Amino acid sequence: MAEWVRVGETGEIADGEVNSYSVADRAVAVANVGGTLYAFDDVCTHQQCSLSEGDLDDTVIECPCHGSQFDVMTGEVVQGPAADPVDTFDVREEAGELQVSVE
Amino acid sequence: MTRAVIVGAGETGGTAAATLRDEGFEDEIVLFGAETRPPYERPPLSKEYLRGEQPLERGYLRPDAWWGEQEIEVRFGTKVERVDPRAREVVVEGGERIPFDLALIATGSRNRRLPSPGIDLSGVYGLRSADDATAIRDAASQASHAVLVGMGFIGAEVAASLRHLGLDVTVVEFTATPLERVLGPELGRVLEGLHRDHGVEMFFSDSAERFEGDGRFEALVTTQGRRIEGDFAIVGVGVEPVTDVVADTDVEVENGILVDGALRTNVPGVFAAGDVARHDHPVFGRIRVEHFDNAVKMGEAVGRSMLGRLEVFDDPHWFWSDQYDANIQMAGFATQWDRVVIRGDIEQRTFAAFLLDDGVLRSTFSMNWPRDVRRSMPLIGAQARPDAAQLADPDVDLRTLASLR
Repeated sequence: MAEWVRVGETGEIADGEVNSYSVADRAVAVANVGGTLYAFDDVCTHQQCSLSEGDLDDTVIECPCHGSQFDVMTGEVVQGPAADPVDTFDVREEAGELQVSVE
Repeated sequence: MTRAVIVGAGETGGTAAATLRDEGFEDEIVLFGAETRPPYERPPLSKEYLRGEQPLERGYLRPDAWWGEQEIEVRFGTKVERVDPRAREVVVEGGERIPFDLALIATGSRNRRLPSPGIDLSGVYGLRSADDATAIRDAASQASHAVLVGMGFIGAEVAASLRHLGLDVTVVEFTATPLERVLGPELGRVLEGLHRDHGVEMFFSDSAERFEGDGRFEALVTTQGRRIEGDFAIVGVGVEPVTDVVADTDVEVENGILVDGALRTNVPGVFAAGDVARHDHPVFGRIRVEHFDNAVKMGEAVGRSMLGRLEVFDDPHWFWSDQYDANIQMAGFATQWDRVVIRGDIEQRTFAAFLLDDGVLRSTFSMNWPRDVRRSMPLIGAQARPDAAQLADPDVDLRTLASLR
């Protein structure tokens, strides 16, 4: 069973925006792409910059430090210099809460 | 059967080979590299690799086995002597001749060599290849004081890495501030302050007269008469394009191999990209760019061009430089500007600086203010004339300015 952790309120991330939350000692980014939420590791696999500080273009998040791009749906690298994907997590809106599971 | 030959297995050559395959080119690809390693990224050489924080393999463009799996014939450790556009052959060291239908010259650049006496002493290094970085790393592990000649981006990054390793660092730089030509004195002094606060000793408006030592480097004597003793020296005074393979051929060379917007030389079927290529940029005119991001993006673009998918390479150019805990970025290209607009706090070294020439945004530089450099790139590409007050206001999203034009 996934353990859901409340990180915020329903609807608090606007379309095209990314927020960062702390879940079980991990920084987790949550992006809103056209009304669908995606959660992923907020630490770039290249040089550990915060991805949520970067810009979201459709489903692609760009690292603000060195330009690596990741697909927020899969965590896969779209463009280097990063070589490794970022972890992705389950996210949902439930009972007025924004919830993430990092299980 | 078509054969594409790529001369040079750096970031550009390696990326071009991969792009050819990714985009459906099913014929022969031969990738020549003078170094024995598969294509690798060079940015860590002055930073993470030099500091011993990550292995070289981490920067490999593709895993070692990938090239074989993709049926790309790799000839690493093989020097190409000449690309003969009339015979349509590549001449390899030793005399072997390989015919080609398509050729890409991605030979990159080499470090500019100082004419100073003593430059060949052991203990005087340059930094370009992984072997160079390894040699400097080994030297640093047994040293307490490094002398650097040149404070461009490489010199500045190496200074930061050596300070991190605990060495004393003295730098001699020809211009009055670091990176004066690209940043101007005001921004150059910010970089100078960063390094001074981290204990780097710097002498500006001075240069190398001679390197002294009994068989091995002991001291640098400068044109201003300083004598700076150290355990080893590193020279980083810029690069020059490696155009030797097309010397005395029909391929046009002028500070690099001249290519059009689609990265084609004047000889049909012969392309050039990366550090060696002086391309025709729709915004900046003829420029040659020596940065990682350009090497990769040009590698992708030239791969598509070789397949006949011609498009003008109009990337606004962007690069980063990490020094100490500072993330530094720059986009665009400017040789002159008449106004610098600051967003953020230059004293605190958290800012973006917009370089405008006659109102047109030409270049953006940032320190610990990452996001706005990349956001400014569409403005640079569009030769936009953004309002200075809006540029200076951190609450104005630069992406909204792009739509105003």
